[in-house]
Amino acid sequence: MSTTQRILPKGVAEADFDAALNLFRDTIGSESVLTESEQLAPYTKIMMAGDDADYIPSAALLPNEAEQVQEIVRICNQYKVPIWTISTGKNLGYGSAAPGATGQVILDLHRLNRIINVDPEVCTALIEPGVTYQQLYDYIKEKGYKLWLDPPAPSAIAGPVGNTLDRGVGYTPYGEHFMFQCGMEVVLANGEMIRTGMGGIENSSSWQVFKWGYGPYIDGLFTQSNYGVVTKMGLWLMPEPPAYRPFLIQYQDPEDIAEIVDVLRPLRIAQIIPNAVVIVHTLWDAGTHVVRKDYYNGKESIPREAIERIKADEGIGEWNVYAALYGTPEQIEVNWKIVEQAFSASGKANIMYGEEAEKRGGGFEYRSALMKGDMNLQEFGLYNWRGGGGSMWFAPVSQAKGSETKDQTELAQQILGKYGFDYVAEYIVGWRDMHHVIDLLYNREDPEETQRAHDCFAELIDEFAKRGYGLYRTNTEFMEQVAGTFGEPLRNVHTALKNALDPNGILSPGKSGIRQ
Amino acid sequence: MHNITINRYTVDTPAPARMPLRLLSSSTFKRLLVAGSLLLPLATTSVAAEEREPAEVYRQVCSHCHNLDKAVGPMITMPFPETAWEARGTYIRNTVRQGRAAMPSLREAKVSNAELDELIDALLRGELANAAAGEE
Repeated sequence: MSTTQRILPKGVAEADFDAALNLFRDTIGSESVLTESEQLAPYTKIMMAGDDADYIPSAALLPNEAEQVQEIVRICNQYKVPIWTISTGKNLGYGSAAPGATGQVILDLHRLNRIINVDPEVCTALIEPGVTYQQLYDYIKEKGYKLWLDPPAPSAIAGPVGNTLDRGVGYTPYGEHFMFQCGMEVVLANGEMIRTGMGGIENSSSWQVFKWGYGPYIDGLFTQSNYGVVTKMGLWLMPEPPAYRPFLIQYQDPEDIAEIVDVLRPLRIAQIIPNAVVIVHTLWDAGTHVVRKDYYNGKESIPREAIERIKADEGIGEWNVYAALYGTPEQIEVNWKIVEQAFSASGKANIMYGEEAEKRGGGFEYRSALMKGDMNLQEFGLYNWRGGGGSMWFAPVSQAKGSETKDQTELAQQILGKYGFDYVAEYIVGWRDMHHVIDLLYNREDPEETQRAHDCFAELIDEFAKRGYGLYRTNTEFMEQVAGTFGEPLRNVHTALKNALDPNGILSPGKSGIRQ
Repeated sequence: MHNITINRYTVDTPAPARMPLRLLSSSTFKRLLVAGSLLLPLATTSVAAEEREPAEVYRQVCSHCHNLDKAVGPMITMPFPETAWEARGTYIRNTVRQGRAAMPSLREAKVSNAELDELIDALLRGELANAAAGEE
């Protein structure tokens, strides 16, 4: 790499960067310090509508041990080198494995991939950031434990630590990942290592079973943040139930979303339906295996008549509810009667499970896998819907109220329509909240379309905020803008914490809009 | 950077050495001792550091999209004529490392250079065709 083309961390002199690189090599071995462009190429691929030139790392570090992470951050402090931390690097559509800004050094924790403990009695695990869901799944199977995981859609190739720290969700009753996290080991910016919760007690046996510890609870400070590097994390695992019944409820009218949510809410809050239910729109349900151009090849949003043809051809609804019951067969029968009764009242719902649901053209098979924690990446088929590799998840939160859902759906469709994009969306139902997840799919190989996608996403953020809707998570291109929607007083607190914990601003500058 | 090698593997990724505790500053070492972070029993029960066989890499990483019954990504397990191995191998390597459209990029930390060499070899020879069809 010639000197004139060399990418350096912002504000770091070349000589200082070289000195830091040499110390990194002394710490983790020269083969684990990547600086050649061919080695760094995998860290530059993004799916969001940003400029490629804004997301190029200057180097990547691949430590093997948490103690090496401590030494790395000390070196970073000495030379003011900013690092961007990734674990499995599969936050696709949110920034993937790329840095938050060009010049940052990637701290790649994928080689910290130890499963330290899985306890089949209290149903807990303690793992490192590089452990993938597939790795943990295989380990549990090999041991013969009757435990389930809760993977997000990228399942096999992503990992529990990274997903939980970005406050991702899955589809089993343990779908809200941070709620089922318990205990962390964190390397702070000054190189010190702490353990949260009960982990500070020497030889504590309750680190993975009691979340709160003593004094202020701080685990949340290390999610969606840049206050430390999490090197171990505990999580709770769901015991495999004696019986499991995934089911599908279809509604055909766009207006039905309000009824679905209002019927579902009390069942969800009362835990009759205990899992993270999804309400999937036609284009998402079909988009995992149907290609857009087979129905419409225009530049505008896909028209209503094409959506109706997809529904008819595929046997899917305008809204497709995927949920499941868990427990003993007797419990399931009782709860199934309650579900049937609730959804049958209006006469609009088509309720089914088993063979009848499997015959439908939507995603019943892969949804059934995800709702029981199996590995499945079928959802990546969405990336073929429009083609071109562009994807950004626009994910505002809503209350689980029909009126609010209707408002969000209409607003999203209106803005997406203005820019010629499709409403490829689902609602993931928590207890009282919902994540309205819209995949803004576009052709990233077309600069004009990429710019349009960027403008569309920016408008979605602003217009949703004006109506009181905020995002639960966003990609690196829009972190600053989204942070702004939550107001300056909150941002000031985030900044004060940053200044206190990381005065040199070396850890993931810009994450969630937080910097010095 | 990498030349494809069908019959032998030129790149090995040695396992990085564990950092000796002597490299920790004495003050930090004391702090860690006080915090108990060097004393807690953290016996490792699973480390996936050793090189994986091509079929295992394919199962863990590729199969979820490229298996015939998934069809999220294109079929990649059909054998290629020997004359096309170098060109096809370079294509696969570039696609794995750089990504392509919906295909994510896969880093050295996820699939080592040595594993990728062997995976490409097995793919070109058609050795993973049965795995892609969902057969053992």
